Amino acid sequence: MAGDKKTVFREFTVLNKYGIHARPAALLVKAAGKFSSEIFIGRKGMEVSAKSIMGLLTIEGHHGARITVRVVGLDAEEALAAIAALFENKFFEE
Amino acid sequence: MAITLKELVTSGAARLSLELIWGEGRMDREIEEKAINRPGLALTGFFQYFAQRRLQVFGLAEFTYLKSLTPEEREARLRGIFEKNVPAIIISRNRIPLPEIRALSEEYGTPLFRTGMITSRFINECTMVLEELTAPRDRVQGTMLEVMGIGVLLQGPAGIGKSETALSLIGRGYSLVSDDVTEMVRSGGRITASAHEMTRYHMEIRGVGIVHVPSLFGVSSIRRDAMLDIVINLHPYVNDAEEDRTGLHPSEIEILGVKVPYLTLPVSSGRDMANIVEAAALNYKLKLLGHDAAKELDEKVIGNFLRKAAN
Repeated sequence: MAGDKKTVFREFTVLNKYGIHARPAALLVKAAGKFSSEIFIGRKGMEVSAKSIMGLLTIEGHHGARITVRVVGLDAEEALAAIAALFENKFFEE
Repeated sequence: MAITLKELVTSGAARLSLELIWGEGRMDREIEEKAINRPGLALTGFFQYFAQRRLQVFGLAEFTYLKSLTPEEREARLRGIFEKNVPAIIISRNRIPLPEIRALSEEYGTPLFRTGMITSRFINECTMVLEELTAPRDRVQGTMLEVMGIGVLLQGPAGIGKSETALSLIGRGYSLVSDDVTEMVRSGGRITASAHEMTRYHMEIRGVGIVHVPSLFGVSSIRRDAMLDIVINLHPYVNDAEEDRTGLHPSEIEILGVKVPYLTLPVSSGRDMANIVEAAALNYKLKLLGHDAAKELDEKVIGNFLRKAAN
């Protein structure tokens, strides 16, 4: 066995002014696509795949919104770190 | 799930024409039972089985009856209803509320509304609004299309080609409901699928980006919503996948507690998925008409063998 499936979870606040609009959503999709883990982005009890631009636009992640990130898979920790970097750097918008 | 008066008033604004007479500060009250009651019997003083958790509607009959009582009786009977702490009182046909109703509603903190609709129409509309508000809903990953009147949800892992297949089907004249994320609502044992309003009529095509479907393909290429008939799961082609090769053993998937026919289609290069989805929808339609091709062929084969074995 190469490793075990892991589930990691973290909460973020959207820090950039315009929220998770098309460009940040595309960045998330790109980052998520590099990992085999399944990545779910959630808000207010609704979760969508981080590998779907359309999905990310429907969670309405405006500035200040609390977003949950749940990652399930073999490379869960690495994937979460990549997603965290985007949130922490305001999606490189400011 | 209980809903508040505020939710009812907001969602039903256009359909119920509710006018608040008293109780602005009480709009967070919950309607515990999503139904409407005409309190006729309760007004006569009979409170057994009184549906006190429902909205109470006073129509022509209730009004005429109340007017036939003496003021003291009227006050006492009405008080009996307010004492039950009903969620709200609605007066139909735009009647001016009797002074007793008005005073009691303030005394007991019971919101009072008026509508211009006649009672039976109001009860029908209001029941529908309540049903819609409390209908079970969920958001699922998948692209929803309408193919020859059949509602098809395409599912599968990211990058398998759901949006590309949808694009091909739109090119053939079918309609897109939603791309990648679909909102499901159950009502009366069936599921209605629609797009999230934020992304409605848009889709993402790899390499092209986000496109507005009706601008590119015309208004006939889209639908606001569609009933869900089948779920088609696209998955990478593997030789030993457990797919049903005959169609004799249809699978089902449960969405919001409703069983929906479920097909698994292997994707490999050179397979025209739009064509196959179209065939699957057609075959489903044929089954609805009472023709099950797989079963009929199998029965023919078996019948033939039985005859041969007997000779």
